[in-house]
Amino acid sequence: MSAVAGAERPIPARKGRHLPLGIYGMLVVGVFAGVIGLGSVTGTFQTSGRTTSGGERVAPAGESVTEIKGWMSIGEVADAFGIPLPELLAAFELPADTDPATAVKDLESELFSVTALRDWIEGREVVAP
Amino acid sequence: MTSSPITLIDTPERRTTRAKPPATGFGSIRRARRGLAALKGIQGARRAVQLLVLAIVGNLIVAKWLSAEAGGTVTSAEALCPFGGLETLYTFVTTGTYVPHVHEANVVLAVAVLVLALLARGAFCGWICPLGFMQDIVAGASAFVRRRVPAAHRAMRAIHRAAAPLAFLDRPLRLLKYAVLAWAIGGAAVFGVMVFRDVDPWNALLEVGTGSVGFGLVVLVLTLVGSLFTDRPWCNYACPLGAANGLVAKLSPVRLERSAAACVDCNLCSRSCPMKIDVAKATKVTSPDCIGCLECVEACPRVGALELHVGLPIGGRA
Repeated sequence: MSAVAGAERPIPARKGRHLPLGIYGMLVVGVFAGVIGLGSVTGTFQTSGRTTSGGERVAPAGESVTEIKGWMSIGEVADAFGIPLPELLAAFELPADTDPATAVKDLESELFSVTALRDWIEGREVVAP
Repeated sequence: MTSSPITLIDTPERRTTRAKPPATGFGSIRRARRGLAALKGIQGARRAVQLLVLAIVGNLIVAKWLSAEAGGTVTSAEALCPFGGLETLYTFVTTGTYVPHVHEANVVLAVAVLVLALLARGAFCGWICPLGFMQDIVAGASAFVRRRVPAAHRAMRAIHRAAAPLAFLDRPLRLLKYAVLAWAIGGAAVFGVMVFRDVDPWNALLEVGTGSVGFGLVVLVLTLVGSLFTDRPWCNYACPLGAANGLVAKLSPVRLERSAAACVDCNLCSRSCPMKIDVAKATKVTSPDCIGCLECVEACPRVGALELHVGLPIGGRA
């Protein structure tokens, strides 16, 4: 027995199984890549809202205003929700000769935005029979 | 620095209380690896993974710059940000839609990060996150210059001495990342937009080539400049994804354990930790700040003193 302080300190027993560092590294890479791979296989790993997993362009169906995205053209939004384009342009004081192919986000102003467009269409649908 | 670890760890008291360590096996001394040799083994694998992820994301960033100049569109690197998946969680659960700028990929990545946190603690931050790696690169460059330029070394020591009275702020400032997490998730839930996006340094990096930069760029520059003086400032104090990661990691069965039988209290593990965890005083490292980088294991001079273990996610400290 040593008389030096600290020499006889209790040593707590380790619990659990030893995990080799290499296995840990493979676990990290494998789990992360595995979840992404699973997402890719099931078609949920979509990095763009513009195309489907099959590569087809997403278009608004006119069922919900949440479908409207900034990259969609003002013309296709008007068509999808059955709104005459001149009425939509007039409501937001946009030029009457605006190209229907213009993206919604490119028309943003103090009066017009994706959120404002969604709110206006939603309100219009409530009023309309 | 001395050339051999034994001279660092042996004090007169230690020499009177410890027998000579065995040549091989548990408790034996292993040679410290420096320079390129330090990249062998698990640290080399970790750096390779970090480099690969940074290359993938960097490729997307450059492609977006070029595409923006040409007027086209490509996959945004923003779609590869796991935090977007957490920000849209409330909106997705309550309405089935995503907040603007978030795609399915963000949600898949968020799930990947949280599953990884559950199984391997904070390994996403230490092994994969490109922003964490960029801070490591800056810190590594800073250390490289300090080792070779005595004036820089003296200047850094003077700065650290001057900042020492502020050390008491370290612990409360670490709570800041949880406040950022609550604000980012809560703000997205209440307002339906990513309120954190404008101050997000990661988003600023992705957008810097498009010219639409804001306060996020200031945060990014501060983070990288701060990395010259201290390890991973963004991760330590402000990263909301790291905060979420750490909270889930508390349930992880994987943790580092220190064997007092083999440990010689050299403190090299604590000094090497980029998250400033006092590994040398822990029996089990269960801190939510642990990023699983294994720098402490690499720095440890004794075989078996610091190892990864799998067990029930309770008990221990630090």
